[in-house]
Amino acid sequence: MTREETLERLRELQRQVRALREETDIPAIERTMQLLDMYCHMARWELGDLEAMIPEAEAT
Amino acid sequence: MRLFKPEVEAQRFWNPYTQTMPRAELDGLHLRKLQTLIQYAYHRSPMYRGLLDRHKVRPEQIRTMDDFVKRLPFIDKKDVLEAQATSPPFGDAQAIPEDFFLQRFATSGSTGVPLHIPLTYYSSVLWGESWLYILWGIGLRPRHSFYFPFHWGIFAAFWSAYMGVRRLGGTVVSGGGLDSKARIQQILQYRPDAIFGTPTYMLYLGEVAREMGVDLRKTSVSYVLVAGEPGGSIPSTRQAMEETWGAKAYELYGIAELGPTNPGCPMQGGVHLCEEWYHALVVDEAGNPVPYGEVGEHIVTSYIQHGQPLIKYRSHDLVRWTDEPCGCGTSWLYYPGGVLGRTDHMIIIKGVNVYPSAVEALLHKVAGLSEHYELHVGREAANDFVTVKVEARPETPAERYGALKGEAEGVLKSMIGVTIGVEVQAPGTLPRYELKAKRFFDHRPPEHRWQLAARTGG
Repeated sequence: MTREETLERLRELQRQVRALREETDIPAIERTMQLLDMYCHMARWELGDLEAMIPEAEAT
Repeated sequence: MRLFKPEVEAQRFWNPYTQTMPRAELDGLHLRKLQTLIQYAYHRSPMYRGLLDRHKVRPEQIRTMDDFVKRLPFIDKKDVLEAQATSPPFGDAQAIPEDFFLQRFATSGSTGVPLHIPLTYYSSVLWGESWLYILWGIGLRPRHSFYFPFHWGIFAAFWSAYMGVRRLGGTVVSGGGLDSKARIQQILQYRPDAIFGTPTYMLYLGEVAREMGVDLRKTSVSYVLVAGEPGGSIPSTRQAMEETWGAKAYELYGIAELGPTNPGCPMQGGVHLCEEWYHALVVDEAGNPVPYGEVGEHIVTSYIQHGQPLIKYRSHDLVRWTDEPCGCGTSWLYYPGGVLGRTDHMIIIKGVNVYPSAVEALLHKVAGLSEHYELHVGREAANDFVTVKVEARPETPAERYGALKGEAEGVLKSMIGVTIGVEVQAPGTLPRYELKAKRFFDHRPPEHRWQLAARTGG
């Protein structure tokens, strides 16, 4: 898989994770989505795709 | 079942994308990371906003690497301590609400007040990630187990290595709360593949094992992973550890306030800058970057200290940097020999800079001397003078101490070019340490304690 293809799938995954994080009312699920968001951010950073230092800064 | 697919497990690099990136591309990526970080720090850390405002620099003015080098001020530990003092523990140095903090560390405060180090959950994952480049590079995988002869205290020490093993998926075996003999029993019982520690403690465990009648070369340990003090990149010290354990010894150089900045090279001759998560400059007394191949002070920027950003942080460590390939295949900057000394441990005898690491390396060339030594620096007339106190090996008869002294003084004189006195002492007379050994004792008047010139401006 190319870097661009990997990044596209990561960004889509992160969009879905963030949507679920917003919509859930279960603490365990929200925390898990927070961590998934963080790991998506980390994987993107490791491929040189920088937006903000932390996912929370991207959202605000 | 296995954690990694076989073709992935066979990969040489943990992240080949950045670890083999051409220099020009890597520098371009650094600039984008630095710009992102500077914006983050300016808008979230009162300490950074104040620092940049005082130097009349706005984040958007850092458009090139040259801007970063010339316009952005250095920051030193005392600046962070002052910022923390505004509202302890973190004060104006804090950049993110405490809700995000996972763990707090502190330095020992041996030079004054302890520096507080906040770590977010994300930062802890990235501290761990920074160990992976060496762990993966030397062939360690999730099937391996790792022994931690470590007390899990407030000092950052080997916590980051623990985070690294968690990130890898390896097995952690804790030697916390035990004395050295009990740890050796645990090693025999649990059969770990790798052990973490300072070079001093790794060698000390060898002494304890000998007293217990245990030959560490016959244990399961195949990897000795050292950090916390120089040694892993000093050939003679590394050889002593490898002979003690019958294992390969590798180093990681880290800085408590910043994390694991420099994973060791798998070729063992030095360390690399972890360019995924850190940027560095090596500068002279005037604060100007020295050319590749030269020695200077290591100035580090962390991309992962989200709780307390540090940009162009003065480490006070002396390193030699180079972009020459070391042979392991990475494009990341290489520091042969690891940390060479401290800017505040500089010794100048008759105009010659004497690095403590060079003295250590030469002492190990003298058969009959042990790895336990202290370096005492004084001042007489217009010169520094150095006396080395070093223990003889247990098997060395006391009547040979005089000859050993002459031999060691001769080696130091011929290799460094200045006279350094040597006192050979009986085994067990110098103190032992679990973490950093205190080896440097400065008896000079304060005005003669050499430092690279203080600098705060860009």
